[in-house]
Amino acid sequence: MQKFKPTAIVLALSTVLLGCQDKGPQKEKVTIEKNPYPSTYQPHSTGSTLITNATVLTGTGERLEDADVLLKDGKISQVGKDLSVQADVTIDAQGKWVTPGIIDVHSHLGAYPSPSVESHADGNEITKPNTAQVWVEHSVWPQDPGFNRAREGGITTLQILPGSANLFGGRSVTLKNVPSPTMQGMKFPDAPYGLKMACGENPKRVYGGKGVAPYTRMGNMAGYRAAWAEATEYKQAWEQYEAAYAAGLNPDAPKRDIRLDTLRGVLDGEILIHNHCYKAEEMAMMIDLSKEFNYHAGTFHHGIEAYKIADLLAENGNCAALWPDWWGFKMEAYDMVPENVAIVDAVKNSCAVVHSDSGTTIQRLNHEAAKIMNTANQAGFSLKEQDAIKWITYNAAKSLGIEDKTGSVKQGKQADIVIWDRNPFSVYSKAETVYIDGAKVYDRFDEKYQAVSDFMLGQR
Amino acid sequence: MNKFKVSLLTSALLASSAAFAQITAITNAKVHTLTDAGTLEGATVVIEDGTISAINPANVSADITIDAQGRVLTPGFIGSMNQLGLVEVSAVEGSIDADDDKADVDFDASPAFNPRSSLIPYGRKGGITQNVVVPHGGKSIFKGLAFVVDLSGEFNSVLKTRTALVVDMGASRSGSRAMKYKTLTEKLEGQQQKLSEKTKKDDKKAAKKPSQEEQVLTAVLKGEMPVVVEVERASDILEVLKVKEQFGLNLVLWGVNDAVLVKEHIAKANVPVVISAVSNLPSSFSSLHADLRNAGELERAGVKVLLSGFAFEGAHNLYQLRFDAGIAVAQGMSHEGALKAVSSNIADVFGLDGGKIASGQRADLVLWSADPFEYSTTLDKLWINGEEVSTESRHDKLRERYTTDSDMPRAYTK
Repeated sequence: MQKFKPTAIVLALSTVLLGCQDKGPQKEKVTIEKNPYPSTYQPHSTGSTLITNATVLTGTGERLEDADVLLKDGKISQVGKDLSVQADVTIDAQGKWVTPGIIDVHSHLGAYPSPSVESHADGNEITKPNTAQVWVEHSVWPQDPGFNRAREGGITTLQILPGSANLFGGRSVTLKNVPSPTMQGMKFPDAPYGLKMACGENPKRVYGGKGVAPYTRMGNMAGYRAAWAEATEYKQAWEQYEAAYAAGLNPDAPKRDIRLDTLRGVLDGEILIHNHCYKAEEMAMMIDLSKEFNYHAGTFHHGIEAYKIADLLAENGNCAALWPDWWGFKMEAYDMVPENVAIVDAVKNSCAVVHSDSGTTIQRLNHEAAKIMNTANQAGFSLKEQDAIKWITYNAAKSLGIEDKTGSVKQGKQADIVIWDRNPFSVYSKAETVYIDGAKVYDRFDEKYQAVSDFMLGQR
Repeated sequence: MNKFKVSLLTSALLASSAAFAQITAITNAKVHTLTDAGTLEGATVVIEDGTISAINPANVSADITIDAQGRVLTPGFIGSMNQLGLVEVSAVEGSIDADDDKADVDFDASPAFNPRSSLIPYGRKGGITQNVVVPHGGKSIFKGLAFVVDLSGEFNSVLKTRTALVVDMGASRSGSRAMKYKTLTEKLEGQQQKLSEKTKKDDKKAAKKPSQEEQVLTAVLKGEMPVVVEVERASDILEVLKVKEQFGLNLVLWGVNDAVLVKEHIAKANVPVVISAVSNLPSSFSSLHADLRNAGELERAGVKVLLSGFAFEGAHNLYQLRFDAGIAVAQGMSHEGALKAVSSNIADVFGLDGGKIASGQRADLVLWSADPFEYSTTLDKLWINGEEVSTESRHDKLRERYTTDSDMPRAYTK
C-alpha cells in the first residue's frame, strides 16, 4: 500500500519505479465494485391514475388550484387544468391537496426499529471514532413497523443513517418506503450513498468517556483531519495504480481498505456528507475542513444554530436539515429558535430541510413544517404552504442527490405523490392516499392498501 | 415565605394579599368553560384578585376591558408527567434534580424546583399555566411525590406538594415485574398493619410521630393521595386494578399503551388514564397496542383521559401539548374531550384550582386567535393567577438578534 507517498513528486517517482519493475503481460486489473448490494426494487404498478381538481403544491414554490395530475407508467405524466385524458383510475380530489411524496433525510427506522429492544440496537457502531467501513443498509430490518406508520404520514423516501457516536459513523442508504422482505427491495435505485459524520458532544462524550481520543472538540477536528489525510493518500494510490495500468504497466493494486473506500468516495464526489453538527462555529469549521481536503461538506443535520450562519451555508451550497423545536437535551441544542428553518430558507440559494430523526415525528413532517411556517409568520416572515412544503420535498431530495428523480410534482418525475384530506399544514390533516412510482402503497379507507409488518401480524 | 409548604389555601391568601387592585373584563369571547355551562359565545369573563369573579354579569365595571372580538378563551392548559423546573439541559448532570439513587416513597423534589428555568417562558407559549411535576426517582419502584407549579416564573410558583405518589410497575431490563407487585403490596400491607395496631393500642409508642414515608402511605391508603402507576401491558393494567381494589387506592394509570384492550375494566373501575396522544409505535412488547386512535377510543369507552406530552419531549417541548390534543381530535377524540384532557381533567384528578372557567376558579386563562389546537392559531394573551404574563422567551431574543440588521457584531444586539 502506497499510503506514505503523498506528494506529487514521490508519486511520479514511484510510477517510474513501478514501470521499471513490472514487465511482462498485465495481470487482470483490480477494480472495486461500488454497488455490491444493488437495489432490487420494482414499482408495483405501471397503470395510470388521474387526480382531478386538487390544490397542488408542486414542491418548487408553486400552488396550483383546481389542478389535475396524471400518473402514468410510474411517472408524473401531466400536470395542469382540465386535462382531457383517460386513465385506469380517476380520483376526484375536490377540496383535497396534493403534494410530492414526503422525504425524510434523517431516519433510523430499521436500524433502531420498534420494538426498541437490546437485540435491535443496530444503528451505532460505537467501537472506534472512525467506522466509515460500516454500511447502515446492513443493519436495516425491513419489518420495522415504523416504516408503515411513516408511509401513513406520506413518507415515500427516507435516508437511513447510522448513529452519531463517531466522527465517521458509516454509510447511509436511501430507501423507497415500500414494504419488502429485503433491504434491497426498498433501496432507491441510483441514489448516491451518504457518509454520516458527527461533530461536537457525541464523539467526545463516547470516546472521551473511555479515555481515548477524541476527548475534546479539538480532538474531534484532529480526528477528521487525520482521516482525510489518510483518505487522500489512499485515493492517490489507487489513481496511481489505475494510471500505471492504463499505461500498459503491470503494477500491484493497493491493499483494499473498506473504511477508506468510503472516504475516497467522498473525495471523488460520489458519496455525499451528512454531518450531525449543531453549532455555528463547528459547522463553519467543517466547511473549512472540506476546503482543506477538497470535498463538499454536504448537509448539516440537527444544525440548531444554523440561523447564526445562514449566509455561510448558502454561500457554500450546504443544505441544513433541521427540527422545528427540539432543544435542551444537550448544551449544543440549547440555542434553539423555532424559526431556524425559516431564517436559513430566507437566504438566496439556500437549502433548508426539515428532518425528523424520530419514528414518531417522521409520521407528521408536514405538521413539523407547519409549526415552523406559522411561528415564523408570527415573527414577521410571510411564508405560504407552497414555500414550506419544499423543506420536506424538493430540498430534501436535493440534500440526498435525487432531486432529478423525486421531490416535486413535475412532468417526468417519479410519481411519488400524497393526497391529503385537507390543507396538510392543518393539525387535523391526514394523508389519504400515497403513491410511490405511480403505485398506490397506502389508502386510508382501504385495508387492502394498509401494510402490516411481519412482526405485528397476529400480535393484536 | 416558606414556599415548600404552600397549600391551596395559603396560595389563595398570597394572591389576595398581592396588589391586585384591578378588575379585568374580557368581553365578546367564545368561552370554553369546560363545565356544565359548555361553550359560551360572545361571553364576558371578569377577573378580580387572581380569581374569575363573574361570567356574563348583568353589569360590568372593570379597570381593563379587553374586547376579544369573538376570539377563543380557554382555561390555561396543564402539563403533567414531566420534570419541568427540575431539568434545564438533559445531558448536563448538574442541571438535573429529578432523580436520586436514594429516592423512594417520600422523595419530594419540590425544594429543587427552579421557577427561573428557561423552559418555563417557552412552555407558556403553548398556553400552559400549570404543571404536575413528576420526579424520575431512583432504584425503587416508588419514584417519589408529584408536585404542582404554575408557570408564572415567580418564586412562589410551587402551588401544591405531595400531590401524588408515583410508582413504576412496568417491565424492567433485569428482574421480574412480579417482584414489583410484591414490593408494592408488601409496603401497603405493612402500613395497613401499623395503622390497625395503632387503633388497637393507645400507648405512647403508637402515638409516636409517623415518618414521612408512613404519612405518605397512610394518605394513599385513605385514598387522600392519588397513586400514579406507570404501566403499559394490558395484563399489568389488570393486576394494578386488583391492587387498587385490595387497598382502595385513588389510582391514576399512566402510559398504558395497551389500555384499549381492557378499556371496559378501566372504565368500570373509574380510573383515569394519562396517555400521550402521539404514541403509536410498538416500542416494547408491553405496548403493542399503541395507536393514535387510543385517546378517542378510551374516551368513548367512558374513561377519563388526560393527555401529557410524548415521553421523549419531556418538559422542553411542553408547548406542543395543544398540537398533540389536535392530533387526538383528528384521530377520533371529541374536541371538548381533548380540551378537558389538557386542562380540567388534570385539575380534577390532581385536585388543582384551575382548568375550568367558572366563578371562583383561579384565573389561569388563555385568549387564542382561533381553535387552540391549530398550528395557525396564535396565543394572544395569557393570564396566570389573574395576572397577564408575557410569552416571550430567550428563543425570541435569539431570533431577534440574528434577524436584525446592525452595523455592530450580533453580540451587541440585545
